[in-house]
Amino acid sequence: MESVSYQRFPKIKIREMKDDYLKFELRETDASMANALRRVMIAEVPTIAIDLVEIEVNSSVLNDEFIAHRLGLIPLTSERAMGMRFSRDCDACDGDGQCEYCSVEFHLRAKCITDQTLDVTSKDLYSSDHAVTPVDFSDPSDDNDPFEHTETQRGIIIVKLRRGQELRLRAIARKGIGKDHAKWSPAATVTFMYEPEIHINEDLMETLTLEEKLSWIESSPTKVFDIDKVTQQVVVVDPEAYTYDDEVIKKAEAMGKRGLIDIRAKEDSFIFTVESTGAIKASQLVLNAIEILKQKLDAVRLSDDTVEADDQFGELGVHMRGG
Amino acid sequence: MAKKGGEFKELEELVRHHIDSFDYMVDRGLEIMLDNIKPVRIYDPHTDTSLSLYLSNPRINAPIKDVRSRTNRKRLLPFECRQAKVSYTGKFEADVCFQYDGRPAIREKYNFGQFPIMLKSKLCYLRSADPQQLVSLKEEASEVGGYFILNGIERVFRCLIMPKQNYPMSMTRGSYRERREGHTDKAVVIRCVREYQSSLTDHSSVTVRLYYLRNGSARVGFWVRGREYLLPVGIVLKALVETTDREIYENLTSYYDEKYEKLKGAVGSQLLGERAKIILDEVRAASLFTQDDCLQHIGEHFQPVVDELENKTPYTVAHAVLKDYMFVHLPNFHDKFSLMIFMLQKLFSFVDQTSAPDNPDSLQNQDILLPGHLMTIYLKEKLEEWLRKAKSLVQDELTKNNTFNFLAVGDVRKVMDKNSPVTISTAVESMLRSGRLATQTGLDLQQRAGYTVQAERLNYLRFLSFFRAVHRGASFAGGRTTSVRKLLPESWGFLCPVHTPDGEPCGLLNHMTCFCRVTSYFDSQGVVKDFFDIRKSILGVLTSLGMIASLPKLVQAGPPKALSVLLDGRVIGSLPSSEIEKVVAHLRRLKVSTTSAIPDDMEVGYVPLSIGGAYPGLYISTYPSRFIRPVRNISIPCEERQDIELIGPFEQVFMEIKCPDGGNGGRSNAFPATHEELHPTNMLSVVANLTPWSDHNQSPRNMYQCQMAKQTMAFSLQSLRFRADQKIYHLQTPQTPIVRTGAYMKYSIDEHPTGTNAIVAVLAYTGYDMEDAMILNKSSVDRGMFHGQIYQTETIDLSDEGSRSDRSHRRFRRSNTDRSSHSLIDSDGLPYVGQIINPNEAYCSIYNDITNTSKPKYRKGSEPAIVDYVAVDTKSKKHLQKVNIRFRHPRNPIIGDKFSSRHGQKGVCSQLWPDIDMPFSGVTGMRPDLIINPHAFPSRMTIAMLLESLAAKGGSLNGNFVDATPFASTVKAPNAGEAKSEPESLVDELGKMLKSKGFNHHGVEVLYSGVYGTELTCEIFIGPVYYQRLRHMVSDKFQVRSTGPVDQITRQPIKGRKRGGGIRFGEMERDSMLAHGAAYLLHDRLHTCSDYHIADVCSICGSILTTHYQPQRRIVRDIGGLPPVKAPKKVVCHACQTSKGIETVAMPYVFRYLAAELAAMNIKMTLHLNDGA
Repeated sequence: MESVSYQRFPKIKIREMKDDYLKFELRETDASMANALRRVMIAEVPTIAIDLVEIEVNSSVLNDEFIAHRLGLIPLTSERAMGMRFSRDCDACDGDGQCEYCSVEFHLRAKCITDQTLDVTSKDLYSSDHAVTPVDFSDPSDDNDPFEHTETQRGIIIVKLRRGQELRLRAIARKGIGKDHAKWSPAATVTFMYEPEIHINEDLMETLTLEEKLSWIESSPTKVFDIDKVTQQVVVVDPEAYTYDDEVIKKAEAMGKRGLIDIRAKEDSFIFTVESTGAIKASQLVLNAIEILKQKLDAVRLSDDTVEADDQFGELGVHMRGG
Repeated sequence: MAKKGGEFKELEELVRHHIDSFDYMVDRGLEIMLDNIKPVRIYDPHTDTSLSLYLSNPRINAPIKDVRSRTNRKRLLPFECRQAKVSYTGKFEADVCFQYDGRPAIREKYNFGQFPIMLKSKLCYLRSADPQQLVSLKEEASEVGGYFILNGIERVFRCLIMPKQNYPMSMTRGSYRERREGHTDKAVVIRCVREYQSSLTDHSSVTVRLYYLRNGSARVGFWVRGREYLLPVGIVLKALVETTDREIYENLTSYYDEKYEKLKGAVGSQLLGERAKIILDEVRAASLFTQDDCLQHIGEHFQPVVDELENKTPYTVAHAVLKDYMFVHLPNFHDKFSLMIFMLQKLFSFVDQTSAPDNPDSLQNQDILLPGHLMTIYLKEKLEEWLRKAKSLVQDELTKNNTFNFLAVGDVRKVMDKNSPVTISTAVESMLRSGRLATQTGLDLQQRAGYTVQAERLNYLRFLSFFRAVHRGASFAGGRTTSVRKLLPESWGFLCPVHTPDGEPCGLLNHMTCFCRVTSYFDSQGVVKDFFDIRKSILGVLTSLGMIASLPKLVQAGPPKALSVLLDGRVIGSLPSSEIEKVVAHLRRLKVSTTSAIPDDMEVGYVPLSIGGAYPGLYISTYPSRFIRPVRNISIPCEERQDIELIGPFEQVFMEIKCPDGGNGGRSNAFPATHEELHPTNMLSVVANLTPWSDHNQSPRNMYQCQMAKQTMAFSLQSLRFRADQKIYHLQTPQTPIVRTGAYMKYSIDEHPTGTNAIVAVLAYTGYDMEDAMILNKSSVDRGMFHGQIYQTETIDLSDEGSRSDRSHRRFRRSNTDRSSHSLIDSDGLPYVGQIINPNEAYCSIYNDITNTSKPKYRKGSEPAIVDYVAVDTKSKKHLQKVNIRFRHPRNPIIGDKFSSRHGQKGVCSQLWPDIDMPFSGVTGMRPDLIINPHAFPSRMTIAMLLESLAAKGGSLNGNFVDATPFASTVKAPNAGEAKSEPESLVDELGKMLKSKGFNHHGVEVLYSGVYGTELTCEIFIGPVYYQRLRHMVSDKFQVRSTGPVDQITRQPIKGRKRGGGIRFGEMERDSMLAHGAAYLLHDRLHTCSDYHIADVCSICGSILTTHYQPQRRIVRDIGGLPPVKAPKKVVCHACQTSKGIETVAMPYVFRYLAAELAAMNIKMTLHLNDGA
């Protein structure tokens, strides 16, 4: 039996790119690939996050675990993460997880000595590695806005201290993935949608009056259609605003115009929206995800002709070998 | 939230009845009570002088630290009491007056011990503190008080329902028939609350019953010292006032008039004359003709019963009996006479079925028992007891001791002090601590126990509910009848129909509605009311309105011509029935006007004429401890503006009150509504008012929510650090609900929020959401959703434990020799704060000076705990004696924890599902925090939960809170300008909000499978819903064992989770195993894993008890390093003196035990052994 090659060459087109935001099109592939990419971005791209906290003094109102938990959730700049070792398979420190290859040390010392409440924020965390620091959310382009400035400049609040209260701790940040704990997830949101294909049945549309057209357009909660001011024809202004809610189709049916509109999801093109927590740049997140996806596939491929693989994958193993 | 003073007024209002009643007790109640304790008289025959002892001038002081030292008078603050596990008490002092025959009284100050003080009462330091000061006093900013602190535990008085005071009620009781021969089951009962001159009362009550006899006569029954005495009514009537047979006859027959027979409102019948004759004949038959004859008769009868009057003339005794036990609310004998006539009329009308019986279970005929009142009467009894005891002590001394100087106050006092006066306050404290009354007389109360409960601070709603709860009485809890539990329409607006527990106390434990108040001794300005003046002015108003005042010898006409007017149980006259409606309307006007002397909480109980209905009359009540609630009086012209009238449950029944929700309520034009509800939600309690859109839910769901709100693990306390409660549940990151009712802000629930806004998707996704299970998003939980802790405090008091001798030699110190626990325990013998302590590790160490040993204390349980706080008692002199160690148990959500929305939709977490596998929205990328199954909705019909989801989605998109007050649509101000179009439905309103933000009108969204990335075949309803985490958590409940501790006697596994026991595999479980034919499993459970035992049985004699293992003396030598050959076991039967025929048999150990037990009864059990078939 001659094996047919299903190999395809997906294409990516970037639409919008910011540090923490990326919108791109992914074409010529299928849902499994798109979803795999999404899942890897959320759960398997490694970042660095605080994993161990040794509290020396804590006389704040929050208890130790609460503070440790809050520290863990602070996003740290993790460009280094891909090259770092997981502390569980770090041979430099024997799994102790405290060596420079697999961990970054932080220190926090804060004491309130005035009557003013002291906000302890992520800015008070001192890193042993200048490449791994709490993410700075202040927007350099927004310097002139004084309010915005002070709000974001202070970083993420960890705890508030009153006079006499003190917090002193040492924290160890390690590499990890979102699957283990959400704090290691670099993605705030990753989502994709199928690109819609919208065909208006112009003949049927012409049978509608202007009011009917307007009410039909209104039926969609998102602005997908509009009316051309000149020709008074219904035009698609933003197909991607369509949420597959079928409202317009239902409306058309309610108006007795079945088949007024035909909307199909393109099976092979996706529009991705990626928002990063700031730990890594959104663009880097995608690249890392592809890299990890490749590694995972390699892992499968390299194990494909072993007996264990047969046990593990069963018929799938045969299939993978091209059977 | 920064709140200025008075921000928590609404909360304070909720507990006011507790505080007011306590304040009154301290202000006036005690004094009145003391003044009316009868002096005890001691007569000394040697000196021929008598001494009378009485009490006066009571004072209760504010709580002070260390009463003994006079120099160090520091304030004792409530938080210190909680932490030190002591009581919040102040010194109770009073003067005992010693008066020798006619000489001036000598006042001696007595200390009656430490009296419990209610928080935020006038004696409490928190009374005047504003929220800021409260915080600095280490209390909640919103502290409302109303409870006591006893041994560090907060206890609240449980308010009880009492029969309405001073109101004669006609009742049918089977037990009345059994009282004596000739009695019927019908009687008129009145609970009289004692009143002295100028309308002062000490709240003690005496119930008087008027029984109807089969022969047409009546008997008066009243209780003296725990026994009921019955007197013919004629004798009592004649004894009360100087009267003639003719007058009595006329008084009794005046209510019958042939003219009115069968007319509406006629209560008398022809039989009245006959009955009057029988009553008078009875008196004549006993040959009692004059008042003196009757008094003599009564006096002789009661002489042995009443004390302090042993040597008095029968005349005085009779007078005292009538004064102290007969209609004690009326000091005047003429008033007593008129009331007796009135009650006879009511009784006869009830017997003739011209009036209906009163329902004692209906709120119409009920009052409430408040803490101050109970404490006063309890204290009165204790003081009377103390005085009696003092008397007997002195008398004993007089007879025994010749040197005793009776005339020296000091000597008398010394004798009296043998019965320590300090016990008085101790008795009150122990009453509040245990809720049990230690009383001989019963104090005319129906129950002895259950007067206080612990005010648990599991969450704020639970705490608040303790103050609003009203219990029907413990005596009803056991009864099999359900009629007392019924929800009666009379309780509308006073008791919440939703907020009652389901199950055992259902309908017995009710909660007052949010606007329900209790009348108090204080008027709105906080001034003590003068009931004497109030009654005088009411009387004045009524006479000016045409009331014929009741006078001795004046025979009043009866219904339907005229109606009797009773003011607080006194017949004050009668009003012509033609006038009465006008009079009632006028009285209501006066009630609401601020200028009149008529109090605003006066109850105008006008019972109109009817055919066979309630007995007509005008019953006016002014006394405290009645329920009241505000309604709007719409018959008053609006320009007067003061139209909020306070009404009581008695008058409410006969009033026409319209509710905005009910429209006209089927009211006929003849009876137009005179009053209007302020808001339809006034019928709900505080907790029930917090359920959003509860009007859209099936009613039982709202009841479940009331239960679950009180079981929620929430943000229970802000002053957590200063608390030493046994157990505190704490939610780490609570949120304020997006969808909330008006009550939420009104009662500042934001100070103690109870849940989290979770994104809830309603879909059947993995199968793990079947049967009310719910799937939590693991990442959401990772990020802190529903995280929480349990705080648990261990109090170690060295002076409490161990024998008395080595108490003083024990202190906290760690052992210097044993260094194993040094990582856990500091040099002071106490744990390090923040230290994790695993089960069976030491957390503190107590050192004994004499034995030179230190004994560590180990943690029990199966999970690690973290030391949260160590509080030490710095008061003691040398070294510390008392320590509170607070542990923290992390309680983050795991499989098996219970959650619930605010709509009675509870569920158990079945999986922590990975975020990537959760369905996601293609547009927003949102993944739900929580998935519930759509099957939770159709049968439960909790539409409000769907509305909440919609509204919260819209609210969060717009960045505002959504008001979800139930019945809100009915009270929307009708816009005059707006056209009368069909009002928009709630769903449309909410849908619009969503649509404007680009979301689906119905709240559904297209979701994609998280696993496959494909579109789910239908649209999913998703949105934020406020979820509560309930306190039932697996970590506190799981019970598992393979082997473990066993019972000593039976060798079967013990029970009890705490002790590592097993779960009973009972009969029904056994049956199901048998039914399945699972014999092996059955054997495993009931035998192998239980008391499996191999016994040696002697097959010759068949006994299992006579066999005995004989140790072998033969020494087995080691052969070449091989393990020694095990010597064969030798078992001998003592009975048969041989080891032949010994067999081993597997059996349950209890079987052997049975054989031993039987042997003890001289029964021999033999086993016949054979192998195989």
